[in-house]
Amino acid sequence: MLPESIELLALAAFALAIALVFMPDRSPRRRLALQGGAGLAGTAAVAAVPTFDLALLVLVLLAVFQAALEGRRPTAACLKAPGVAVALLALAAVFARVGGPELIHRFAAVGLGAGLAAALGLLPYLHVFDPEEPVTASPIGWLAFVGPVLAAVIVAGAQGLLPADAGAAFGAVLIGLGVVNMAWGSLAAWLTESNGAAWRYSFVADWGLALCGFGLTLADGRRAALLVLFTVVLGRLPLYLASRQAGKDRVVTERPVNLLVAAALAGSAPFAGFAARVLLLRGATQLFWPLALVLALVMLLWLPGSLRLGRSMGLPRGRQALGVALVLALNVAAGLYPLPLLAGARL
Amino acid sequence: MVEVAAAFVAWLGVSLVVLSDARRGLALGTLLAAAGLAGVALPEAGPAGALALVAGGAVAAARRFTAGPGGWGILPPGSTPRLILCVAGGLLALWVGLEVMTGEGAALRFAVMSGVGLAGARALSSADTSVAQTAFAVLALAVAAGAALGADAGVWPFLAGAGAAVAVTWAPGRVQRAA
Repeated sequence: MLPESIELLALAAFALAIALVFMPDRSPRRRLALQGGAGLAGTAAVAAVPTFDLALLVLVLLAVFQAALEGRRPTAACLKAPGVAVALLALAAVFARVGGPELIHRFAAVGLGAGLAAALGLLPYLHVFDPEEPVTASPIGWLAFVGPVLAAVIVAGAQGLLPADAGAAFGAVLIGLGVVNMAWGSLAAWLTESNGAAWRYSFVADWGLALCGFGLTLADGRRAALLVLFTVVLGRLPLYLASRQAGKDRVVTERPVNLLVAAALAGSAPFAGFAARVLLLRGATQLFWPLALVLALVMLLWLPGSLRLGRSMGLPRGRQALGVALVLALNVAAGLYPLPLLAGARL
Repeated sequence: MVEVAAAFVAWLGVSLVVLSDARRGLALGTLLAAAGLAGVALPEAGPAGALALVAGGAVAAARRFTAGPGGWGILPPGSTPRLILCVAGGLLALWVGLEVMTGEGAALRFAVMSGVGLAGARALSSADTSVAQTAFAVLALAVAAGAALGADAGVWPFLAGAGAAVAVTWAPGRVQRAA
């Protein structure tokens, strides 16, 4: 198993533990533990299997498992995007494995990038989203829980499958997808009507950063991607879970805690998102400086959406307030001293 | 020659899954697709791998035969675009597998590409649980057969593909929660 996958898996397990310990008393703890645990086991299986094909087959099972959970979308709707993802990734694997003109391997690179986007629920394959649906049955499960490990496995699989030239094309596809998702996600998180949808788009925007990091094919890019995924799993996801209660009660507040949450979500210093952005800009400058300029401009779009999401948190109380404080503290710690996190993934 | 026939049977089976809306047509399509994919994968997968694919497809087909909308439901009114998809998708896979790609195993490449492509398209276009699950089962079988294109696949991908196909068709449909 890749060190990066092990670390992301551990982060997902920790996020699940935080959700279980700090969720409000009236929430269905047992159901979340069972469904989250099963999702975690499936995610571990994706990372643990030795071949790319087996990972795709585990992905099929994960999709079917999620489609069987109680939710508001019909089964067929839940299976659409994972079906496209598996088909694209499998076709890409065929194209990568056979002999032929160089163009074939470039098609494989495009298929791997598109399949990854479809599996995660990013543009241009946004999953159908219903803010009222339980988190385990909603696309947020793919974006924030299964997605990080899946992305690490697919990127590593792509590096094993593709020759060097096509590997560069794969990186370019990831950067292109990343910039589009950053821009679209951050603008939509700011401008969309529903707070629930705004949270979903904010995950999409964060994934844009991670895809750019993976696509840079430099050490700084991989480090940035890992830190972004840390902020997704142990920052945005727990804060989203906390905000769901406020969303139900339709509470919007403007207190210091809301500003702190907004700062963490926007990736400002000293939170982990800031370190990720610095690494990403440094990597982009090394590769092609105009890209760093574009990334820096798009990063500014995080601010209005994050302020809105921070306000939508309401005022956390009781054990939920403790959970929010813990998440913010973890993000500050990772932002100030990310070395152990990066060393754990051997980056 | 056997491989060519098996590839055609695989394409025919997946096409039946695309063209059918009811359980008999879906079950027959699943069975044919599994048999065809096992036939083209046999030289690389060995008897154990091929048998696993056939068995997985047979169990999935048996399940589909007993659950879902009744009848054959093949080529219902309004299915012309699906028919065009099957023919055009098959021709495209044939051209890419035979003319563009090089090396041994053209039949396997054709069967896997047409199987994955058409089953993926069916999963994307369906609004019915039993149809989507059947498309997913065939997709799992095609992904497993595609493992035969890799070096030294072993028997595990074929067993996993068969298991996934069975699990997909036996999985319960979603209980929808009202607002």
